[in-house]
Amino acid sequence: MTTLTEDTGTAAARETPARRRPRVDRLPYLLLLPCLVVVGVLLLWPLGQVVAMSFYKLDSVRQLRGDREWPWVGLANYTQILADPFFRTVLRNTVLFAAANVALTMILGTLVGLLLNRLGRKMATFVASCVMLAWATPALTGTIVWKWIFDDTSGLVTWLFNKLPDGLSQALFGQSDWTGYGWFNSPLLFFAILTLVVVWHSFPFIAVSVLAGLKSVPSELHEAARVDGAGPWKVFWKITFPLLRPVFGILVVLSTIWDFKVFTQQFVLAGGTQDRPTFMLSIYSYAEAFSPPPKYGVGSAIAVILTLILLVVTGLYVRMVLRQEDE
Amino acid sequence: MNRWKRLAPVTAVVASAAMVLAGCGGSGDDEAADNSKLTVWMMGEGSDAQTKFLDGVETEFRQKHPDTDVVVQYIPWLEAPKKFQAALAGGEGPDVTELGNTETQGWAAQEALADVSGRMSGWAESKDILPDLVKNAQLDGKQYGVPWYAGVRAIYYRTDWFAEAGVQPPKNWEELVAAAKAVQAKKPGTYGIALPGNSELPFYSFLWGAGGEIATNQGGSWKSGYTTPEAQKAVKFWTDMVTVHKIAPPAAAGWNEIDARTQFATGKAAMAFGGSWQAGAIKKDNPEIEKVWGTFPIPGPDGRPAPAFAGGSDIALWQDSKKQDLAWDYLTVLLNKKNAQSFAGSLGFFPVYSDLVASGDYANDKLMAAFATTMQNTKVTPLTPKWVEVSRTKTVTQAMNSSVMKGQKTVEQATTDAAAEMESILNAK
Repeated sequence: MTTLTEDTGTAAARETPARRRPRVDRLPYLLLLPCLVVVGVLLLWPLGQVVAMSFYKLDSVRQLRGDREWPWVGLANYTQILADPFFRTVLRNTVLFAAANVALTMILGTLVGLLLNRLGRKMATFVASCVMLAWATPALTGTIVWKWIFDDTSGLVTWLFNKLPDGLSQALFGQSDWTGYGWFNSPLLFFAILTLVVVWHSFPFIAVSVLAGLKSVPSELHEAARVDGAGPWKVFWKITFPLLRPVFGILVVLSTIWDFKVFTQQFVLAGGTQDRPTFMLSIYSYAEAFSPPPKYGVGSAIAVILTLILLVVTGLYVRMVLRQEDE
Repeated sequence: MNRWKRLAPVTAVVASAAMVLAGCGGSGDDEAADNSKLTVWMMGEGSDAQTKFLDGVETEFRQKHPDTDVVVQYIPWLEAPKKFQAALAGGEGPDVTELGNTETQGWAAQEALADVSGRMSGWAESKDILPDLVKNAQLDGKQYGVPWYAGVRAIYYRTDWFAEAGVQPPKNWEELVAAAKAVQAKKPGTYGIALPGNSELPFYSFLWGAGGEIATNQGGSWKSGYTTPEAQKAVKFWTDMVTVHKIAPPAAAGWNEIDARTQFATGKAAMAFGGSWQAGAIKKDNPEIEKVWGTFPIPGPDGRPAPAFAGGSDIALWQDSKKQDLAWDYLTVLLNKKNAQSFAGSLGFFPVYSDLVASGDYANDKLMAAFATTMQNTKVTPLTPKWVEVSRTKTVTQAMNSSVMKGQKTVEQATTDAAAEMESILNAK
């Protein structure tokens, strides 16, 4: 009793936060609740359904409706996909494309971010607005415009190549007449153009994020390094990169996720789901599930495989980043 | 940004609530299963002429069913598969629907359409419908759709350029190449023929013209005809137009029929494949072209016109409809000979009744004459619901031709691979 009376002051000081804590703790969850409900209903539930569907043989809309039973096939959809040699092509396309695009997007985005940091205010605003326009263009419209640019008869690129001096064009490419050239004919060229479109769409986000990171780096650090005689290359790798490592980490993870599931740009450039040699996982899943005759089970299984690959890739990467930070 | 993030869940909740409410509102149709309303889905955007025609059909139909209101909804062609899938999944569909005749078997296999075999045999006018078209709407011997109108492809050409180059519409394959080369020489910067390398239907005319077959059913198992010398001859000719004769550009390997037709409409090509119904679209791209165009049937190798695929539309009853008697009555009014002829004509198609095609006055029409000739000699693609997978999903024929045009495979390799893939799909259990 005595100790308690003696200690009221400190006890109260200790108790106040303790008493407040339940209220403070519950509120964020209450506020989050609508969001969680939406995420649950619109994201987790369909996700669970896709996983469930991948274990059934589903090839009729009437099954989705519940008019027909769902025959359980276990892992048959997965074994069928993994045994198909076409899956290897698709997987190779997806992984190579994602790797190339993440690398190019990161490099270009970082360079533009660094540039924006060095520019004066007016010029920075101008360049940033131009860059943001590319980002603000919806994927669908942007890609349609790119498709026109590469049109085989009236496209800008065809016109430019036709403007090359005939001799030069002949020496470089072995042809001087580019009218009617099939820009999307070979898978390699198709992927090159697709990479151009996707990188064009996604580097602005990287640039702006890197710029935001750079603004938080104290300029004294850079000045000090420069005074000590470090060139721009060294400054970047010794000062900027280590300080911005978390930013780069997040950006690489996001880019990986985005570039693994590119769909719109490919669908538009390829003109639908006809160009099978250039399939990647997302369009493969869509084509299997929804092209007639529908195979919802197989399509779901491909989607699950894509999700698993993404989880593994990003999981490994996040662990790597976290570990580096601990060191 | 932050404000939007905070608003997003609210918007989503409101939106989903709205969808739920809308869904509830829409399900009141079951009680209305009385005959006060008949829902009809038509494909396309619905021109004034079509609306007026359908109003006339409704008036005629209501003479027998005065209490029924016919509600026509237009579905864009490209939207149709999604709309059908949604209707089938949700259980809220039309009573009567139009659908492309290449899709009827596929939707019949999905149990979307009602079996009308019995009703059809009791309907006298159906006896005159072209037999190929009737067969094309069957699955396992049962009738799931009734042909409404039909059309075939021929070749559109520039009469002025042909005159300048001094060539006549070609009658065989050799003349086709010669005419294309002559025009190309006279008109630098144009293509002799806009070849849709990524489409299958125009190619089938060359395949059938050479005496080849896509696939034949031999005692319950499908055998692809692509490895025969006739088929390989057709593939060789079709792809040689790009790779050897160079009367079409390399880009043609990726062109579909619309891409190719646009080359013709915009004055970039002397010839293009097209159906009679596409005349309107070509004119829309270039109203002037009407003065300088003509058509001729797709030639065979030997001087006779090649057979063509009979495209068009079927009318079907929706399997989930509770008013099938009423729907069939509407169908027989819509498809009676008088209405069929007036509607097909207004669209640039042909009626499906053999007597009407034969007696129609097409011989003096500078566009329709070639199509009318070809209508006498039509063929259909393999009659199995699995065909749609070969044709649309795996695009076996298109890929075969494109790979040869792109120089990725030889004719022998490409045809062998395509035949194997086709057989594995058609014979899958």
